[in-house]
Amino acid sequence: MEWESDEKELKAAGAEALGGGRRGLRIGGWEIEWEEKVQTSHFPEMVFGESSLVLKHVNSGIKISFNAFDALCGWKKEALPPVEVPAAAQWKSRSNSDLQEDHPDTRENEGKEKRPFSELVLSCKPTDEVILDYDYTFTTPYCGSASIERSLQSGERAPDEGSCNPHWEDCQEQIDMVALASKESILFYDEVILYEDELGDNGVSLLTVKVRVMPTGWFLLLRFWLRVDGVLMRLRDTRMHCTFRESTEPIILRESCWREATFKALASKGYPTDSAAYSDPGAISERLPIVKRKTQKLVIT
Amino acid sequence: METFVDVSVCAVPTWTAVMINLLIRWSWRPRWIGARHFWFAFIALSAFSVCRRLWFSRSSKAEKPSTYDEVDSTSAVVDLRFEVFESAKMADLDRQIEQLKRCEPLTESEVKSLCLKAMEILVEESNVQRVDAPVTICGDIHGQFYDMKELFKVGGDCPKTNYLFLGDFVDRGFYSIETFLLLLALKVRYPDRITLIRGNHESRQITQVYGFYDECLRKYGSVNVWRYCTDIFDYLSLSALIENKIFSVHGGLSPAISTLDQIRTIDRKQEVPHDGGMCDLMWSDPEDVVDGWGLSPRGAGFLFGSSVVTSFNHSNNIDYICRAHQLVMEGYKWMFNNQIVTVWSAPNYCYRCGNVAAILELNENLEKQFRVFEAAPQESRGAPVKKPPPDYFL
Repeated sequence: MEWESDEKELKAAGAEALGGGRRGLRIGGWEIEWEEKVQTSHFPEMVFGESSLVLKHVNSGIKISFNAFDALCGWKKEALPPVEVPAAAQWKSRSNSDLQEDHPDTRENEGKEKRPFSELVLSCKPTDEVILDYDYTFTTPYCGSASIERSLQSGERAPDEGSCNPHWEDCQEQIDMVALASKESILFYDEVILYEDELGDNGVSLLTVKVRVMPTGWFLLLRFWLRVDGVLMRLRDTRMHCTFRESTEPIILRESCWREATFKALASKGYPTDSAAYSDPGAISERLPIVKRKTQKLVIT
Repeated sequence: METFVDVSVCAVPTWTAVMINLLIRWSWRPRWIGARHFWFAFIALSAFSVCRRLWFSRSSKAEKPSTYDEVDSTSAVVDLRFEVFESAKMADLDRQIEQLKRCEPLTESEVKSLCLKAMEILVEESNVQRVDAPVTICGDIHGQFYDMKELFKVGGDCPKTNYLFLGDFVDRGFYSIETFLLLLALKVRYPDRITLIRGNHESRQITQVYGFYDECLRKYGSVNVWRYCTDIFDYLSLSALIENKIFSVHGGLSPAISTLDQIRTIDRKQEVPHDGGMCDLMWSDPEDVVDGWGLSPRGAGFLFGSSVVTSFNHSNNIDYICRAHQLVMEGYKWMFNNQIVTVWSAPNYCYRCGNVAAILELNENLEKQFRVFEAAPQESRGAPVKKPPPDYFL
């Protein structure tokens, strides 16, 4: 329930609303604003909000980071329709009969209209059940956050900081996987989980990022892995590579590769369909057909 | 105590013999040759019985570790042979419990016989098992053996403390076998001191995906142990009722169930079904954003709101519901104006979540005390968890 402030009351107190879609007010030299970034009460079971990976190029101020918050904002924005588990078909007929047991006068449930992408679908009759309708798989298109952060210590603030926006442009170059396959020594390595959910024991949803730094450059993999048991698997990989060089602005390549397959499709190809065979996404990624792939380069304008 | 009982058991027939003698006007030592023989035989048998009893209780006490030498003194068993047999079984069980407490699994044949014994006990239990206070309620454990040892450190050892475990003993953690077998052995040893009810992971289907099946295969080289255990799962009770006031279940409520008697009529000896009342008891969740019944976005699984809990508690005359099933970072969580509480007993869930765990202690007056605890320190665990070596991932 949103609280509405009274215009007259505000004016009388010498306050003014922030306006422009923002919630809050200006009063007594203070600006008080309330903002709900991800508008939902449903989050993954485990959110590692304190964990992040940050790569910063000191001279150019380029900062690439990975965090759960931005990834969840991406999830909320993409708002895929929920995936139904195998038992759902059985349940559709069941829940109707259950309610009829309790309330012999219950009417048809079929006519219920489903509003897509809202979190709640309220049914017309108070005795009917409410169907929660959000993407419980937490599928996110997130492929990292990029910004420019000039160091303030040097005293020379970039005059046109606002216009200095990094963005990704499609390119022909490819990440040099052959070079990366060479066993160069690893100087730094780590893996962090950004969020994880067990889908109420119906599979796994996991967002992790791992990085390795070699004498010649760094390489990282952000991986969103989803398995809804008996239904489908999704693998959204983002790889970034940067080779160290002398010039001021580094060249950063980013490759996104999205794969997806249903258990049905895997069965038709003769692959196993028990979920236990799909616990390691790295080992089975080749079995999942690619649905989207592109390579981009970081450009600063 | 036992010696006293024995002496009195022997004294009674001796005394009776003397009285009979007096009654038929002989002196206390009967003169008639047949009666004298009879009298001596009686005394000899009684003395023999006392000696056997004394010898046995001393030797079995010596075998037992100090924490468990509190033997049920109420059972002054008359049949000697039966008692010897029973005591030997108990001593064996005590040895198994000690072994499991060191996180060493039992042999396949030991698991088989333990499960058979457990089955005899569990089959007698009601779907709504009555539990007396004081009792300590524990939520999901998920094979986190060393964290369960922390739980017993915080809550006290069984049987000194009475326990109610709300299911999900297996899967996810590294020691599902040892965890479940220890709880089961305690159940067989102290049936009235520990109650185990079924969680959604106590199922053939779920354990094949989330670790227990693989663990059995890895540790025993065959799936027999998994079979014995999953067969026992079918016998676990579905819920518990503490002093008729606190209803305990793994998951939650069901639209098919409005009274406890409806739970009592379920034929529970089966694999957890995909739908219906029994399924809901183990799978459903309370949900803030609904008031009545909700359906999960997955298309299967009920969510229940505040008014559902209010009417269930009212019509069954219970104070509140205690359940587990969902991870709570703080270990426990009240909902719907203290009408339902979630208790979670797996600290640092999956060895990475960073949550604390809790157990709920109820004293004889049903006064509540939550005890929050953290995961076992790294050095007290068996094998150290190594950080994975750098990986040439692509």
